[in-house]
Amino acid sequence: MTLRKWVTVIALLTPGLGLIIAMIGTVVYMAIAQSFGLYSLLGDSEFSTEFWDKMLGRRAYYKSVKYSLYIGTFSAILSVALAYPLAIWLRKPFKGSLAVGAILKAPLLVPGLVAAFLFINVISYNGILNQFMQWLGLWDEPHRLQNDRNGFGILVLQTWKQMPFALLLLTSAVQGISDDILDAARDLGAGTFARFRKIIAPMTISAMQAALVIIFIGAVADFSFQVIAGPTNRQSLAQFMVFFKDSGRWHDAAVVGVTLMGAALFGSALLAVAARFVLKGGRLK
Amino acid sequence: MSQSTINKILLYVLIAVCALWLVIPFTMAVLWSLVDPAEPWTADKLLPPVMSTYRWSHMWANSSLKPALINSYILAPSVAVVTLILAAPTAYAFGRIQFPGREVVKLIALLPLVVPGFVTAVFFTSIIFQMGLHASRFGAILFAHSVILMPYAIRILTVSFEQVRQDHIDAARDLGASVIERWKVAYLPALKPGIMAALLIVFIQSIEEFAIAFIVGSPSFVTVPTLLFSTLGQDFVRPNAAVLALILIVPNVIMMLILERLLKSANPSLSSGKG
Amino acid sequence: MLKKLLSTGIAVLATASVAMSGSLEGKSWEEILVEAKAEGELTWFIWYFQDEFRDVAKAFTAETGIKVNIPEGTAAGNNDKLLAEMGRETGDIDVISFGYENVHAWPLAKLFQKIDTVLPDITGRKQDVTGIAGEGYVFAYWGNQTGIAYDPDMVAQADLPQTPEDFAAFWAENPGKFGFNYVKGGSGPSFFHNTLRVLSGIDYFGDAPVEEKLAGLGAGIDFFNEHAENYVITASNIDSANRLSDRELWMVPAWEDHLAGLQNRGEVRKELQYYIPEMGMSGGGNGVAIPQNAPHSAAAIVFIDWLTSADVQTGFNSRFGTAPAHANSDDSKALVSNTQRAFSQAWPSQPFKQNVEDLFVEEVVLNR
Repeated sequence: MTLRKWVTVIALLTPGLGLIIAMIGTVVYMAIAQSFGLYSLLGDSEFSTEFWDKMLGRRAYYKSVKYSLYIGTFSAILSVALAYPLAIWLRKPFKGSLAVGAILKAPLLVPGLVAAFLFINVISYNGILNQFMQWLGLWDEPHRLQNDRNGFGILVLQTWKQMPFALLLLTSAVQGISDDILDAARDLGAGTFARFRKIIAPMTISAMQAALVIIFIGAVADFSFQVIAGPTNRQSLAQFMVFFKDSGRWHDAAVVGVTLMGAALFGSALLAVAARFVLKGGRLK
Repeated sequence: MSQSTINKILLYVLIAVCALWLVIPFTMAVLWSLVDPAEPWTADKLLPPVMSTYRWSHMWANSSLKPALINSYILAPSVAVVTLILAAPTAYAFGRIQFPGREVVKLIALLPLVVPGFVTAVFFTSIIFQMGLHASRFGAILFAHSVILMPYAIRILTVSFEQVRQDHIDAARDLGASVIERWKVAYLPALKPGIMAALLIVFIQSIEEFAIAFIVGSPSFVTVPTLLFSTLGQDFVRPNAAVLALILIVPNVIMMLILERLLKSANPSLSSGKG
Repeated sequence: MLKKLLSTGIAVLATASVAMSGSLEGKSWEEILVEAKAEGELTWFIWYFQDEFRDVAKAFTAETGIKVNIPEGTAAGNNDKLLAEMGRETGDIDVISFGYENVHAWPLAKLFQKIDTVLPDITGRKQDVTGIAGEGYVFAYWGNQTGIAYDPDMVAQADLPQTPEDFAAFWAENPGKFGFNYVKGGSGPSFFHNTLRVLSGIDYFGDAPVEEKLAGLGAGIDFFNEHAENYVITASNIDSANRLSDRELWMVPAWEDHLAGLQNRGEVRKELQYYIPEMGMSGGGNGVAIPQNAPHSAAAIVFIDWLTSADVQTGFNSRFGTAPAHANSDDSKALVSNTQRAFSQAWPSQPFKQNVEDLFVEEVVLNR
C-alpha cells in the first residue's frame, strides 16, 4: 500500500466514516466513560468500577443479555430465510411480479409502533384471532397470546417488519447473477437446492451478511416492540437500560448501554462469519 | 411443472398469506379509525358499535398534523440524498479497494446503529447544541439523521459497488471512454438498485426517527413521529393512532410505487444484455 | 477537533453553568408582570391531555394576553429534552410538567429556577407531594390517586376485595382475571407497594436503614410468588385499562384521573367502576418548574402563579376529578367519595421505593 493509496483511501473514508467516528465516537466514549462513573450528567463524577460490579451481580442483567441475543439472532435468521426464496422467485420479472414485489415490501412503510399496536389488536384476548380459532373449534376458550413468554410475538413483529428489508437487499444481489451459470448448473444435473447452495448463496453472500447484520443489530436493540408486545417476565437490554435511566441511575443505564453496544457489534460480526461459513460449504474464504 | 404454473401457485399462496399478513391488520386499522367516541369498540363485537368519521376530521383539524406531514416529507428525502452523497465515497473504498484493516473499519461504520436510543437522544443532541447547529432546526436534524443513518447507506452501497463487474470497467477503459462515461456505462447500472434501496431505507428510517427530531425540533419543528409517539405513548389511543397510521401510509405507498418502478428499470442484468 | 468536541460537550453538560437568561431573582412582581406581557408567549411541555390543557390555557390567555404553546410530546421525550438542553444558554422550554417521582432523581438547583421567593403569595400552594419536597423549585398543580378499576358486570360491589387476603381469594376463584403492571406507569407499583406494606407489617415510611426494611419484606414477596399463576402482569397503565375494557380482565389497578380521561374520550367503557380498597392505595401528583435557561421566564412564572391558584385548582377538580393542589380549593367533584379517599396512602420515600421495585422485579417478575 503506497502512501498515495492510503491518502486516497482516507480521503474517501472521511465524509462517511470520518463523520461517524467524530460524532458517534464521541457519544460512545461518553457512554463508556459514564459506565465507569465519569461524566456524570446530574451528579458528581468520579471513576469507579462499582457500577459494573453491581450489574454483573444482577440476575436480571444476564437474563436480559440472553433474551436480547435470542431475539436478535432469530429475527435475523427468520427474516433472511424467508426473504431468500422470495428474492429468487422474483428474480425474473413475470406477470404481476411488480405488484407482488410491492405487496411484500409494504410492511416497510408501516411505522414500527403502529405495527405493534395493530398486532396486539389482532392477537388480543377477545380479538379476531382468538375468535377465529374458537369458531374453527380448535380452542374452547380464548388463549392469552399477548406478551407471551418466549417472545414469539416479538419475533413475528420483527420478521414482519424486517423481512422486506432483507428482500430488498437480496433481490438486487440475486438479480445480478447471470442466467448462464444457473442454466449450466441445471444442465450438469444440479437440483434446486444444490443450485442455491453452490451458486446463488455464495454469490449473494455480501448482501446476505449485510441484511443479517443490520437486522440483528436492530432486533437486539429493540425497545418499542418489546415494551408493547414483549414478555413481561424479562426485559430486553434496551428496556432494562431505560428502566435505570428513568429512575435517574444514569451510570447503571450506561453499563447496560455499553453491554448492548458490545452485544450488537460482536453478535452481528459472529453471525456474519457463521453465515459465511455455513453457506460457503464450511470454508471461510 | 412449468415455471409459469409454479408462478401461479406461488402467487395464490402469497395472496392467501398476504390476507393474514397485511389485509387483516390494515382492515382492523380502518375499522379502528372509524370508532366513534360515544361508544368504545370492545373486542367481543365484530364491528365498532358506533361508526363515524369523527376521528378523521378531529385528527385532520389537529393543528400539528399538516406541518408535521410537510416537515417530515421534506426532511426525509433530503436526509436520504445527503446521506447517499456522504456515504458513497466510503462505500466505494469498502467495496472496491483492498486495504489492511478493512473488515474492522467496516464494523466501526456500524457504530451509529448500535448506539442505544436514549444515549443518542441526550448526548448526541447536546453535542449538536454545543456545535451551534441548532440555529437551523431543520439543518441540525438533517445533519444528525445523516450521521446516524449512514451505516445503512454505506452497507447497501458497498454491496452494490462489489457487484460492479471489473470486466465492464476494463472494457470501457480499453474502448477509450472518459471517466464520466466509464461511470455511466460500467458503474451506474450495477449501482442503481443499491442507490434506490439505500434511498428508500434511509427515507423510511428518517420518517420514523423520533428522539433526535423531537429533542432538536420541538416545539416549533414538529415531525410525524412526534405526533405518533404523542398519541401512542401515554395513552395508546387506538382510534387516533389508527387514523394517523392510515394517513401515513398513503404518501409512503406512492413513494414505494415510484421507487419500485425505478428499481424495475434498473435491473443490472438487463443492462448487461444477458438474462 | 475531536478533543474540542469532547471537552466542550462533556464540560458544559457536566457542569452546566447557571444561564442567567431572564433571571427572576430580585425583581418585584409588578416588574415581572410587565416583562411577562412584553414576552407575550410561553411554551409549556406537558405529556398528557395536551388538547384539554390547550383549552384550559385559553382562560389564561384571555386574562393576561400571553399565548401558551403546548407542543406534542411524551413524558420521556420531554425529560430527555430538558436534560439535553442543560448546556444551552437559552433553551426551548419555559414550563415543564413531570410526575413527582422524578423529583428525587434530579438535581433541582442545577435544572430549575428557584421560584418560591418570587411568587407573590405561596400560602396554601402545595410544593411537597407525598413526602417528596419541591424545595422551592417545583410546585404541584395536579393531584391524583391510584385505586382499583373493576368491571361491575363481573364483580359485584359487595364482593370487592379490600385486603391482600381478599385479593388472594379473588385470584384463586378467578384466575387470570386480575392484572397489574410493574413498569410504564405507577398504578401497578402502587398495588404491590401497598400489599407489601400491609403483609410485611414493617414501618414502610420509617427511618430504618433500607437494608433492614428490605429484609422485612419477605412475607410479601412470598405472597406474590405463591399466587403467581393466578394473576397477570400487564405492560403498562394503558394496557391494564384496555384489557379491562376489552373484558379480558375484571379488575386492574388504575389512576383515577387517567381512567376518567379515557372514559370521557370513549377509549374505555363508561360502565367501569373504581374504588380504593381498605388496605390503601397511593396518591401522587405532578409538578411544574421553570428551567434555568427558559426563554420567557417572566411569562412562565406568571403562568405558574395562575396554574396553582385556588380558582384554577377548583376548576381542575370539577373538570378532571383531580385532587386540588391548593388548600383553599373546592374538592367536592372528585371521582372517589371522601370515605374512600381516607384510604389514600403516601408513596414510600426514595431510595427505599426504588429498592423495593428492584426487589420485586428480581424476586417476583423474573421468577414467573
